[in-house]
Amino acid sequence: MKEQVEKIISLAKEELAKVEKEADVLNIKSKYIGKKSELNNLLSSLKEMSNEEKKEFGPFLNNKKKELEQLFNDKIVALEEKIDLNFDETIPCNVSLGSLHPVTIVAKEVTDILNRMGFTVLKGFEMEDDYHNFEALNIPKDHPARDMQDTYYLDNKKLLRTQTSGDQVHAMENYGVPLRVCSPGRVFRNEDIDASHENTFFQLEGMVIDKNIKIENMFYVMREVLKEVFKTDVKVRLRPGFFPFTEPSFEMDMNCLICGGKGCPTCKNSGWIELIPGGMVHPNVLKMSGVDPNEYTGFAFGIGLTRLAMMKYKINDIRYLNSGDLRVLDEFEIE
Amino acid sequence: MLISCNQLKKYIKNADDINFKTIWDTFTLKTAEVENVYEKGNDLKDVVTAKIISCEKHPDSKKLSLLKVFDGSEEYDIVCGAPNVKVGLIGALVKVGGMVSNIKIEKRKLAGYYSYGMMCAMDELGIGDAHDGIIEFDSDTPLGVDICDLFNVKDIIVEIDNKSLTNRPDLWGHYGIAREIAAITNHELLPLDILEVTNDKEDLDISVREKDFCPRYCGIKIANLINNKTPLDMQIFLYYTGMRSINLFVDLTNYLMLELGQPMHAFDARVVKNIEVLLAKDLDTYTTLDGINRTLYKDTLMISNGKKYFGIAGIMGGLDSEILNDTTSIFLESANFLAGSIRKSAVKLGLRTEASARYEKSLDPNLCDFAIKRLLYLLKQENPQMQIVSNLTDIYSKPLKEKEIVLSKKTINRYCNLPVSDKKVKEILVSLGFKVDIKEDCFVITVPTYRATKDISLEADIIEEILRMIGYDKLIEQPLNVDITANVLEDYWEQEYKVKKYLATAFNLHEVHSYLWYSDEMLNKLEIKKEGVKLLSQTKNNLLRDDLSLSLLPIVKNNLKNFASVKIFEIGTIINDNQNEKHLSIILADDESNIKNLYQEAKGMVISLFKALKNKEIIFKEASLPDYYNQEKSKAIIVDDVCIGNIIVTNGKLMRYIGKKKAMVMIDINFEKYVNINKNNVLFKEISKYPVVSLDYTLVASKEVKYADIAKILDEYSSKLILGVSFIDVYEDDKVKKFTIRYQIGSYDRTLESTELENFKNDFIKFVQSKGLEILF
Repeated sequence: MKEQVEKIISLAKEELAKVEKEADVLNIKSKYIGKKSELNNLLSSLKEMSNEEKKEFGPFLNNKKKELEQLFNDKIVALEEKIDLNFDETIPCNVSLGSLHPVTIVAKEVTDILNRMGFTVLKGFEMEDDYHNFEALNIPKDHPARDMQDTYYLDNKKLLRTQTSGDQVHAMENYGVPLRVCSPGRVFRNEDIDASHENTFFQLEGMVIDKNIKIENMFYVMREVLKEVFKTDVKVRLRPGFFPFTEPSFEMDMNCLICGGKGCPTCKNSGWIELIPGGMVHPNVLKMSGVDPNEYTGFAFGIGLTRLAMMKYKINDIRYLNSGDLRVLDEFEIE
Repeated sequence: MLISCNQLKKYIKNADDINFKTIWDTFTLKTAEVENVYEKGNDLKDVVTAKIISCEKHPDSKKLSLLKVFDGSEEYDIVCGAPNVKVGLIGALVKVGGMVSNIKIEKRKLAGYYSYGMMCAMDELGIGDAHDGIIEFDSDTPLGVDICDLFNVKDIIVEIDNKSLTNRPDLWGHYGIAREIAAITNHELLPLDILEVTNDKEDLDISVREKDFCPRYCGIKIANLINNKTPLDMQIFLYYTGMRSINLFVDLTNYLMLELGQPMHAFDARVVKNIEVLLAKDLDTYTTLDGINRTLYKDTLMISNGKKYFGIAGIMGGLDSEILNDTTSIFLESANFLAGSIRKSAVKLGLRTEASARYEKSLDPNLCDFAIKRLLYLLKQENPQMQIVSNLTDIYSKPLKEKEIVLSKKTINRYCNLPVSDKKVKEILVSLGFKVDIKEDCFVITVPTYRATKDISLEADIIEEILRMIGYDKLIEQPLNVDITANVLEDYWEQEYKVKKYLATAFNLHEVHSYLWYSDEMLNKLEIKKEGVKLLSQTKNNLLRDDLSLSLLPIVKNNLKNFASVKIFEIGTIINDNQNEKHLSIILADDESNIKNLYQEAKGMVISLFKALKNKEIIFKEASLPDYYNQEKSKAIIVDDVCIGNIIVTNGKLMRYIGKKKAMVMIDINFEKYVNINKNNVLFKEISKYPVVSLDYTLVASKEVKYADIAKILDEYSSKLILGVSFIDVYEDDKVKKFTIRYQIGSYDRTLESTELENFKNDFIKFVQSKGLEILF
């Protein structure tokens, strides 16, 4: 009998190996351990056996039945878990990603740095009045400093701002002092456009006003910003500049990263790149915005964001930036 | 501005100790930006003085002459084309092997004759622009001497950025630059020689009618002038610094302007007998020295004699009083004009000159008489016989006095930690021409008038003087004090960036930047007439945009040349009702057959944007838009009952403009309003703990029925058992539209009985059928 059972099992295994569907497994299952199966018949015949035989074959048959049951269940589980992996994993992907404008990315980087240093980012206005763009910045009418920038005047007595510096005035008017603010935005100069000149570009203004703000603080902040932007300890130099709204005024130059200071076309062979103009806020500017210059001092600085973006991404023609040409722009990142 | 180092050396004691090639880096760091340093005269080699000893006409050429030229030791055959050759002329000879204008001179055959070198004109030597003949030296010039040893041919010319001199009228002359160099290098500045005038003659008839516009007017008359030839060294200097040599009298006025920064003018005294300084009659015309007839305005300050104009004050003289070859007496003007008035006139007349550029910077009126005395001294060198025939007449009603500034040490400490002693402070300021008195708690500083007109008026100005001379690198950087206030004053930029990033990330949109003004070409092509704020003095593309989306069309059009579909956005300024307004515009463009999908996509973007970033539900309503947009399909976007923008479908003309068989859908959102929408808090929403049944129903309607009609009907049906309704799909065939809607049926407090569910189904189906709709289930 034992031989007979072993044969049943090996037949069941043989059949089971050939099928791949759950229904077939169930058919085989009923065939081998169902009510009318040979094994079941053997089990039924137990009751006609002697007690000794019962003792010998009873557990044997039950174990074998369980063994078979397990076999079928395992097969069903295996079939359920089986996944068709028959696909071509080498087919290429066409990934489509959006993009942010390079100036947006750079502006975000710089404002994030300033944010970490406690600066609030303010919004300015592209169409400005004469007062905020010039007058309140200590540039009265007929001041030769007005020639330093070619202004777009409008037929409604306003103008397109030539600098973000007017946001210094807005900040003092809106929030008073002390202040620690920066303001990125577009500015306009009436210039002919070529590979390195645009009439529309981005700047960022920074300003700190408080009691006991010194020139040394300004140098620290300006250099810290550069260090973070370029992710390296950049070599800088300071020289006098002239801006009517700061006194003293400075230009912070950075050692040219392209040539390392030896001189190249990017730095016009000087080894230095003019990067951050700034200075201590002129007492007249403070006074005009209602801040007592005997109590408060402060500094302001500007960063050319468009210029920074061009340096960062090695963009060789400024005209791409306002072209909207996606062949260029879609290469940029999304953060 | 161009600066000659040879000239600077004249003003500084022991100037040879200074390296004039390298000092300019330091000058940039301490004073003003140097743009270029040029070396002059280096391209000349073996150019010597030589005399023409014989001169014959070339037998076959009208122009050429055959010369024998003697350099003191040898004779050379030279073929020369200059018209002014003559025996006895001493000129500049480049010998064979020598160089001029970077050309090596060789023995050369000219029209059959060998030439062993070349006689040069000023321009060939690079020391002038004259080319009407070879240079003629004085008859007592020694022969065979290198011209670089005889004259100031070798020089270093420095170009300084004019912008960085805007606030420094004193640096618009060589003497001022020399003062800075002397201070930087610790050298002594030499005083200038002048000719003192004894006022024992009569005053000139000068009257200044506009004292506010002309704070000072000095005049003097000089006669018996014979020599009007400018010395060669002065000619070279003028040429190197960008001026043209005319004659001695004119050149000297220019020389003084280059030396002291004080513009001067020499009139022919035969024409100018008296002077009146007055304002022009509006729209009078006048011909200036350059031969151009100009229209004057009522605020143009003029030099006249009361009847006739002689010049535009501070800008340019006139033709009829100009110095001529036979002029022997001159009326010399050295005046001070109001900076603002000169600038205004120069701008109005469109005439910027060397003189007006200097007056605009607010010149020191105390220079006027000094410049005259200096000019007289130099004039006398060339005309020892000259006669001063009038008093140095001086109309100067409110003399500018030296200014005193008290610089308190407390103020210095508020600005910086000064790393030098009081004594050093004094030394620095004195080297720049200030007088300094050191007191216990302050410095009492007297500012020279040449620094006091505009530049130096505050303590901060003095601090700058001290610091720039010490060097800013001597200050030790200091971090700001800790400030633990979370002082976020506004969050506009944060919101702008969030939106941009969301659009680029969630919908793969590309950000673009565009100009603030419309493209005329586009407006014309689309036949859109717009009024609005305009740029002055621009004839093209001068209308500022009041519709961001419209202004982006050229960008869409250009990109469709390279891509089948374009998805862009910009957050930019428009000018709406004379105000700045930030807008967000999204434009989706693709093939015309895709317009339905574009519309759905746009709608999805708006809903997601407000859901994701503001947690707001939006409603679409009828839009009211300019007529180049489609009024029916465009929809207003309503948030909290306020219209904050539109989904826009354009008219066909705009679609054709961007491309053949192309279509687009736009989203335009008033970003100012967007920023001001408060974000709704997300609140926890309970879910049913009991089984919920999903029931899908398909409603069949005729083709013209819109989903909105169906939704309106379904909204009328209410039942407590409806936990949610959602639109699944729409299917359209030739005859009908089929909308599939999914209902979530259940309860928050129990499991539904099967009869309840059946009742709902029956009731709902009956309701729908009662509305005349076919329902499939």
